[in-house]
Amino acid sequence: MNVLMPQLGETVAEGTVANWHKKVGDTVAVDELLFDVETDKVSMEVPAIAAGVITKILVPAGTTVDVGTVLAVIDSGAEATASTTTAQPAAPAPQSPPAASAAPTARAAAPETPPSWYAAMPPSMNEATEQYSPRASGEGSSAAVAEAPSQAAQRDGHRRLSPAVRRIAAEYRVDLDSVEGSGRDGRITRRNIVEFIQTKKNQPQQQTVATGTSAAEQLAAAPAARAGRPAPPAAPASAGAVLPFTRIRKLTADHMVRSKATSPHVLQAVEVDFFRVDQVRKTLREAFKARHGHSLTYLPFIAHAVCQALHEFPNLNSSVQGDGLVIHENVNLAIAVDLGAEGLVAPVIKFANKLSVSQLASAINDVSSRARGGKLKPDDFSGGTYTLSNSGTFGTLITAPIINQPQVAILSTDGVRKKPVVLETSEGDTIAIRPVGILAQSFDHRAVDGAYSAAFLDKVRKLLENSHWLVEV
Amino acid sequence: MAQLTYRDAVAAAMAQEMRRDPNVVLLGEDVAAAGGVFKATVGLLDEFGPKRVKDTPISEQAILGATMGAAMTGLRPVADLMFSDFFAVCWDIVANQIAKTRYMTDGQVTLPLVIRSANGGGSRFGAQHSQSVENWAMNIPGLKIVAPAFPGDVKGLLAAAIRSDDPVLFFEQKSLYATKGEVPDGEHVIELGKANVVREGSDVTIVALALMVPRALKAAEILKEQHGIDATVIDLRCLVPLDTQTILREVAKTGRLVTVEENPRLCGWGAEIASIVAEELFWDLDGPIVRITTPHIPLAAANNLEDEQLPNADRIVAGVRQLVD
Repeated sequence: MNVLMPQLGETVAEGTVANWHKKVGDTVAVDELLFDVETDKVSMEVPAIAAGVITKILVPAGTTVDVGTVLAVIDSGAEATASTTTAQPAAPAPQSPPAASAAPTARAAAPETPPSWYAAMPPSMNEATEQYSPRASGEGSSAAVAEAPSQAAQRDGHRRLSPAVRRIAAEYRVDLDSVEGSGRDGRITRRNIVEFIQTKKNQPQQQTVATGTSAAEQLAAAPAARAGRPAPPAAPASAGAVLPFTRIRKLTADHMVRSKATSPHVLQAVEVDFFRVDQVRKTLREAFKARHGHSLTYLPFIAHAVCQALHEFPNLNSSVQGDGLVIHENVNLAIAVDLGAEGLVAPVIKFANKLSVSQLASAINDVSSRARGGKLKPDDFSGGTYTLSNSGTFGTLITAPIINQPQVAILSTDGVRKKPVVLETSEGDTIAIRPVGILAQSFDHRAVDGAYSAAFLDKVRKLLENSHWLVEV
Repeated sequence: MAQLTYRDAVAAAMAQEMRRDPNVVLLGEDVAAAGGVFKATVGLLDEFGPKRVKDTPISEQAILGATMGAAMTGLRPVADLMFSDFFAVCWDIVANQIAKTRYMTDGQVTLPLVIRSANGGGSRFGAQHSQSVENWAMNIPGLKIVAPAFPGDVKGLLAAAIRSDDPVLFFEQKSLYATKGEVPDGEHVIELGKANVVREGSDVTIVALALMVPRALKAAEILKEQHGIDATVIDLRCLVPLDTQTILREVAKTGRLVTVEENPRLCGWGAEIASIVAEELFWDLDGPIVRITTPHIPLAAANNLEDEQLPNADRIVAGVRQLVD
């Protein structure tokens, strides 16, 4: 049977095979880890869906292919006979050791003569194209070029480092003063720093270097294949240093920019009195924890209220497609989960509108703990129709969230704090202490207008404040 | 596996495809009775007759106009333009008509045609018959561009070009016509848009095309033997589609890129590749990107000056050492 590149979300068209856990000839069981895939936002492990012997690996690690592309072939009938037949394609040749003659050589400063292609042009032509020249042409303008760059660099004590060396030094926190450079003018080459890291790694008492299979392999490999490298330790960045984006950081950055560019965001917020929710939480606290193994937070109540309200305001549970709005029948609720250095993911709870509060609590607990354990499956990311983002644990007042494309709205839940609240009763106004928090929704103004969004938020607020939650739980 | 010359490989590919598909026809100046001015179509008239192998009057516009019409009405024509420099008199047909028809008819009309031409310098034909004009074509969306370096690739890629439903400009380097190489027997087709890593090394990645490929390979041997520098050499084979995956993969391995182009400097294909690599692989680069090209001047008529202008192994060696040493 064919192993296909999985669909990892409705807007995702392609994925990168990060690495294979099996090779040709290996036997694989159902649910056994087969390969890692990376795509927009996520990197995940994909298990085998059939048992058998891997007869072909058609897409090598590091390659990006369209969703649905055949990646490998599993022969389900060949379990018994396999293992010796097909050899894996030869791995790329390892880097040869540095050549003897590549020793540092004293060099003159950067040449003052223009490049040959430029010099060969007649003066009339080469004046016209002066802008193409990286340096001013030879005579006449040498005064403008005070000194050759490398001389200036050395005098000022600046290091001239290639992008590759900069990146590796930042990721592995290498003190460049201790790396000997064999390049021109003593420059540190990529090979110098890779070998430096390798040497360090082989000395176990100096654990400054991140562990991994082989630093040299990882560093030299194509960037797509490099994603498996360990995350750089969070170090105080020295002033002016460039901290290169990790893959997930870059993907997040791209998604955020794209979302802001796609959807005109409008923020609206309501203040909600969580008195009734809190009462139920207090009543059920011990019993719920005993039964489910995790505590009952505010979030499942909010999720429940949102799902009910979306039923009445379906245009917020939709996607913009061309010049129209695709309304989704069910609410697939994406829950933003912060993974610290690993970034942010938003796994999806399918058919959230059909779940009770306690079922939502379990589902939220399930996806967020699997997200933190890196155990999310491709399917967990697909089909989201509305997103909840919870900054409440940090006690924030209000957050303006960015819409999770191609959805049209996202709700941020912030901190719930006890505040004095004026209650209007038949005996006159009175002041009570109530748990109050703000719910803030960013919506896509292409999809709906402010009044619609406001009415939705009002509905959510009323549901949270007035529902008989003991019944709903 | 037969040893064929580059020019025999052209005829072998033509014959392979003409036997397979009766719609494949060849037209051009002196392609039939004379077997081509570069003798690349010898034997085709005898085997396939004058209806399918047609000599034309001396008008490049007429050849390409007829080719386009033939393709529109169901044939798979191959036009022989002779010198690629003659594209200059054909741009309306090529750039405004052939390249755009499939798009402007919303796919209702495809143009499965090939325009073969003898491209490039090194054969003492002077400034107007020696140009590397693949960059001219690369500016026009809608054209595929192929420029093989070895006889085996000539056969496989020309066959694929003929089978392509899009117009393909097939550039044969005229200084390579006499070179020999292994050509697989039987049906041989190579997918368009796949670059070939013809040498693997760990220090620098050299990207070359057509005549520059054997020169880059020679330079790589000198670099290894005399300077201890181990170079990867990529033969691009096609400019459109461009195999960016192979380029990025191989440049990421060494961290260094040198392009070797026969064309004059400005806006050559190497600049496009440099830009892609700078965008995609900036943090993997271990040094500046180096482009080696013909200077930005028309090619000289004098033999010694022509040799001086075209990139040769020595210049490639110098360019690589400037980067790696």
